[in-house]
Amino acid sequence: MTSMESDKCWAECMDVAVEIARKAGQMVQEAVKQEKRVSSKSTPTDLVTEADQQVEELIISTLRERYPTHRFIGEESSAAGEKCVLTDSPTWIIDPIDGTCNFVHSFPMVAVSIGFAVMKELEFGVIYHCFDGTLYTARKGHGAFCNGVRLQVSKEKDVSRALILTEIGAKRDPATLNIFLENMKKLLSAPAHGVRIIGSSTLALCHIASGAAEAYYQYGLHCWDIAAAAVIIREAGGCVIDTSGGPLDLMSRRVVAAGSREMADYVVRQLQPISYERDDHQPIVQS
Amino acid sequence: MADPWQEAMDHAVEVARKAGKIIRDALQNEVKIMCKSSSVDLVTKTDQRVEKLIIESVKGRFPKHSFIGEESVAAGQPCILTDNPTWIVDPVDGTTNFVHGFPFVAVSIGFAVNKELEFGVVYSCLEDKMYTGRKGKGAFCDGEKLSVSDQTDIRKTIIISELGSHRDPETVSKVFSTMQKILCIPVHGIRGSGTAATNMCLVASGAVEAFFEIGIHCWDVAAGAVIVQEAGGVLLDVDGGPFDLMSRRMVSANNKTIADRIIKEIEIFPAERDDVPAKK
Repeated sequence: MTSMESDKCWAECMDVAVEIARKAGQMVQEAVKQEKRVSSKSTPTDLVTEADQQVEELIISTLRERYPTHRFIGEESSAAGEKCVLTDSPTWIIDPIDGTCNFVHSFPMVAVSIGFAVMKELEFGVIYHCFDGTLYTARKGHGAFCNGVRLQVSKEKDVSRALILTEIGAKRDPATLNIFLENMKKLLSAPAHGVRIIGSSTLALCHIASGAAEAYYQYGLHCWDIAAAAVIIREAGGCVIDTSGGPLDLMSRRVVAAGSREMADYVVRQLQPISYERDDHQPIVQS
Repeated sequence: MADPWQEAMDHAVEVARKAGKIIRDALQNEVKIMCKSSSVDLVTKTDQRVEKLIIESVKGRFPKHSFIGEESVAAGQPCILTDNPTWIVDPVDGTTNFVHGFPFVAVSIGFAVNKELEFGVVYSCLEDKMYTGRKGKGAFCDGEKLSVSDQTDIRKTIIISELGSHRDPETVSKVFSTMQKILCIPVHGIRGSGTAATNMCLVASGAVEAFFEIGIHCWDVAAGAVIVQEAGGVLLDVDGGPFDLMSRRMVSANNKTIADRIIKEIEIFPAERDDVPAKK
């Protein structure tokens, strides 16, 4: 495929992503009114519902039919044992319901997130806010948009004028919580304007892209939480890096995102790490 | 019998909407920030303009009523609740969010007579959601009846805990210690929208089970108090005693079981009452 052909192809894929994100969002809106069957995954606070599985099934089956040679990394498929490895193939990276805990509580911050990578490069991202219908989109080299309006990050470099967002992550053992709270305390005491937790990492990352907050950091999120938002933030002029200050490692379970490099570097310097098993870990094979 | 305060409440809704539009329009322009008690206790011209709008609008219609407004008190007006019909107003709850364009900003209008809260109006103006509560008549969001969560198991709750504008190490330590204890119960999660009025509406709507804070002011919670209670929730002091509007502290929850469990973990620190006379 020539680069012009692939460009056209990815543009078409993105249009399909938007369409399916909206449909999935509608499914979530219906499901939030029903009684939910909730179970837990890695920890008692790492929740999953039938809706997560149904929505992911809808998205993947629709896309697979249209693009039979493409690959898929989805939250619930991974939970069911599918490998979470990024190859050079065109790959869809999907979180069917980001903010499952919010969904269970009908707390109005829930999103469908669809990212897309080719040759291991993130090409576009689509995030749909299921409760208020806001659509965030970005394609590499073509800008980032919210409901058609161009997004621009905050260029603030001074942490004393910063609003910072984060999420807790699934691990809730006392040692992890200690580090989590120390990180938060350090940034709050900078003193930042505030530190907020809204319960959806993808929507929080979108707030970085829109300039509503200056930085986001988290340990414990997954590749499907970052894939779409990374493109959106970068196309809005921001940066998305590893918590060590190096380049983003999509499978590393950690991220720092900010409107300015100076802000990102500042946040990186304050953080104590919390380790989570990589998304692309190879399960130990019993012989 | 006709509701003697229906007209006042309708006026509150009308003026809250007008105020909300001013706030949304103001977000299009660059916001000049000023600071009050500290570098993180923010105020803007919009806060002052909106409060002026509300007070003048209400004075025009109800000339004998009294006012407690955040910016008026900051300018030296006394913060004393008498028996007189009194409007208790936060023109922009979530000024920090407003300054950043972060989507939770509310106009909060509470109303008390004989020191009893009669109605509350909270307009979440960036979401365009109008929350109302009238004593004895229920709580609503855009016409839909609100009901708190029926959860009684603390391990299945979401708790809202705000960090506030304290930055002195001792207070910050207590705030984080409380948060740690609550997270270790464990609960499903902790959230913070950055506005007390919105947080109380989230309790009332059942999206979270509890919201507590030390450091809020009477104007942050007067409206939300009615909305939470009319949605079936409870209000208490952080020491488990009855809610005291001027005490600068509050627990609002879906039921007493959850409230009591949270109260066990709260590390209390002092906050000067709202009704302390201003030092001359």
